Amino acid sequence: MRGRGKDAAVRGWAAAAFAAGAGMTVMVAVGAVGGVGDRATENGARVAAALYEVQGVTDSDVARLLDGRVEMVPVREDPAAPGDRIRREEVAGPGAYAYEAGSLEPSAWISVTPDNRGRGWPWIPTILALPGLLLISAWALARHPSPPPPRYPATIALLSATLLALVAATARQWSHAELEDLGAAHLARGLRAAEIALAAGADPGSAARAAGLPWATVTSLDTPDQLWTMPREVGAAIASTPGLRTAPTYTVEAGGATYYGGSIALAPPTTPGPPTPDGPASAPDTLHLVFLGYEETASPTVPLAASALASALLVSLVLFLLPLSARPRSLRRTLAAWGFLAPAAFLLIVFTFGPLLFSLWISLHEWHLVDPAHPFTGLANYRDLLADGSWWSAIRNTAVFTLHVPLAMAVALALALLTRGSRRAVRWARLALFLPGITSVVAIAVVWKWLLNDGYGLVNRALEGVGLDSVPWLTSPDTALASLMMISAWMVVGYQMVVFQAGLAAIPRDWYDAARVDGAGPLQRFRHITLPGLRHTLFFVLVTSVIGSFQVFGLVYVMTEGGPLGATDVAVYHIYREAWEFLRFGNAAAMSWILFAVVFAATWLHFRFLEGKSAHA
Amino acid sequence: MPDPRAGMKTPARIGLLVAACLIMAAPFLWMATTSLMSQLEVFSSGRLLPENPLWSNYPDALTAQPFARYFLNSLVFAAAVVAGQVATATTAGYAFARLDFPGRDRLFMLFLATMMVPAVIILIPRFLMIDALGWIDSYQGLISTELVSVWGIFLMRQYFRTLPHELEDAARVDGAGPLRIFWSVGLPLAKPAVATLALFAFIDAWKNFLWPLLVTRSMEMRVVEVGIAAFHSTYEINWPYQMAAGVVAVLPIALLFLFTQRYFVRGIQLEGIR
Repeated sequence: MRGRGKDAAVRGWAAAAFAAGAGMTVMVAVGAVGGVGDRATENGARVAAALYEVQGVTDSDVARLLDGRVEMVPVREDPAAPGDRIRREEVAGPGAYAYEAGSLEPSAWISVTPDNRGRGWPWIPTILALPGLLLISAWALARHPSPPPPRYPATIALLSATLLALVAATARQWSHAELEDLGAAHLARGLRAAEIALAAGADPGSAARAAGLPWATVTSLDTPDQLWTMPREVGAAIASTPGLRTAPTYTVEAGGATYYGGSIALAPPTTPGPPTPDGPASAPDTLHLVFLGYEETASPTVPLAASALASALLVSLVLFLLPLSARPRSLRRTLAAWGFLAPAAFLLIVFTFGPLLFSLWISLHEWHLVDPAHPFTGLANYRDLLADGSWWSAIRNTAVFTLHVPLAMAVALALALLTRGSRRAVRWARLALFLPGITSVVAIAVVWKWLLNDGYGLVNRALEGVGLDSVPWLTSPDTALASLMMISAWMVVGYQMVVFQAGLAAIPRDWYDAARVDGAGPLQRFRHITLPGLRHTLFFVLVTSVIGSFQVFGLVYVMTEGGPLGATDVAVYHIYREAWEFLRFGNAAAMSWILFAVVFAATWLHFRFLEGKSAHA
Repeated sequence: MPDPRAGMKTPARIGLLVAACLIMAAPFLWMATTSLMSQLEVFSSGRLLPENPLWSNYPDALTAQPFARYFLNSLVFAAAVVAGQVATATTAGYAFARLDFPGRDRLFMLFLATMMVPAVIILIPRFLMIDALGWIDSYQGLISTELVSVWGIFLMRQYFRTLPHELEDAARVDGAGPLRIFWSVGLPLAKPAVATLALFAFIDAWKNFLWPLLVTRSMEMRVVEVGIAAFHSTYEINWPYQMAAGVVAVLPIALLFLFTQRYFVRGIQLEGIR
């Protein structure tokens, strides 16, 4: 009786999982298809922005090419924040795309409203729904008495459906990125073909078509008087237009002058017509503007992989809950616990575990902030970093910087021993000792910059006062890093002292008394009682301080900006510059993983060492 | 004031301690005195104290950039982070300490493992996510990533584990559900740990520099730390102004510390002795 009921439950679960998996596959497929149209329109808007840079192109040309409505919107100031331009989403409205046309007078947004091909996925409601649903179901299940009511499968199914929706949305986003990469690769290939053909005096259009771009056409423009009055500038404008970076600029020799031709990637019309036959081979003084298009029907593999992954997850979720459902009490407890964990777990997944994977993903791509194409490059970023001297010098600087930790620990231990047993002195001294560690790093960096000022800083004045030479603390490559180490030690000493005090208080007093009876001197007592007794504390402080010092940023940012001559260029500052100054996110992500590996190795060694020591003790 | 228990070396000890404190405090004292000097005095004389304290440096420096707005932003940011971290850490800490479910300890280890991950590694994806959401230069962009602290979860779990079970058992016998037990029994007992967590969350948020530097663009959204850094590069050689701004940035934390010392020390000791 009981066994048969269980069998039925198992069959029910299996059916539910199957149905959910099938539903998800459909959702993913739909999402991916919608995504292509979406992306085509966005590319189109970029192309339009570039086209407007070319004289003689009219709105109707662009509209025809893009198969959508094209509008010019003058750039306005944002009334809420003067000086800021309004955001492009406000110009374009939902589902449309807008790009700034910089060289138009006055500068304007180009807004393209597509014929409604792609729909955005309701991201926020989906994300918000998940924890809410988890909580509600946890609550509902926890309230029900022990024989499981038939509502259980329904609740789980609801939960699974939400999960699926989330997975589908993610997969759709991924398929976007993948299609974009495919398109970029296609375009690069076609352009290369066109370029080679042109150099050989052949027809670039048919070469590009042969390279797998059925919509490639070549328009011959008259030079130089009519359209290309300023060919270099026009070419440069096209080349620097965001979104067109994948289309390299090429130069054409015509009439003894060099002209820069822009190659424009163009999205195809929705119903592809037959390829247009293009003009005769190029005359020496004709400039070619190559319009390339690519077929966006490539089958996205990422959604399929995501479906497989999600199915596996779903099945394991069901397998996890199945044994519990036989024991409703423990199912109820589990769900209640997950209700408690939901807020923290949700935030950790979204803002820690998710980003960790995402960061790994970024590090495998050539990822530029303003370039929508992120071609997959495998381990190329890591390979390049191995040969990047400036990055390894940043790692070396970071490692050297970390050497201030033992120094600070020695001082902190001395202070802890000094204040041992006298609570009043500690309480009195605490503010002075502690303030450097807890207060504004930037303010501290500024005041130290002033203290260590070459000509007028207090430190150098004091040195001169006693007849010594002043030291270029922050302005010489030989001393700058040492100065930062000194300041950092000054900052962490108070915190370390308090931890040591706690550790000292945990060592039994009798041990000292016994040692004294045995005739041990203060040094021997320190060597044989205090140090072994503090072993765990010492290692804890060492590990946390080393991890902290590997991440130093504020001091460097304010005091030296990595200088002089890169002497204080530490890892996090190097990564910051790579990502937010040079906008090379792929590289920066790879750097951060290398840093992680270094930190992890250091920590692991510490722990191994610690464990080895404890085993012997 | 010799301490009778400390033995014969007391005067030497106190002398050393005073010296150490002076070294530690000297930069702050120098910051305060410089903030009252005129710009000419800073560069010309070798004086340690200003001849005539120039109090007007403070209003002048603080109105040269919208510091009131910076403080408001820091306050909003820190308050939201405290609220978020207390909410997430107490619930999760309670679940890890008191509720029984499969995989609990493995999950806890997984959470703890994230403490070893350098923050910089998730900075780039977080930034891209916040950018994709359109939250750059907004409070929600500043706050949303900082709402959970694994250290806080750890702290709360350790604390909940030290509490006796009897009260909760009594509540359970009375028919209270887990949420009710947590809210009316567990949480009130954990007040000291919550205070410690809130304090640390506040200080960390107040000190946070890199994340606000990345996600804020306009002057209206800057927090104090970013504001001081920007002020520093604008008023490069006007040291009295910069020191005045520095004093104002350090003072709230110093005062907070003065009144809440024991929570600080408890937090550090709880963390140190695992």
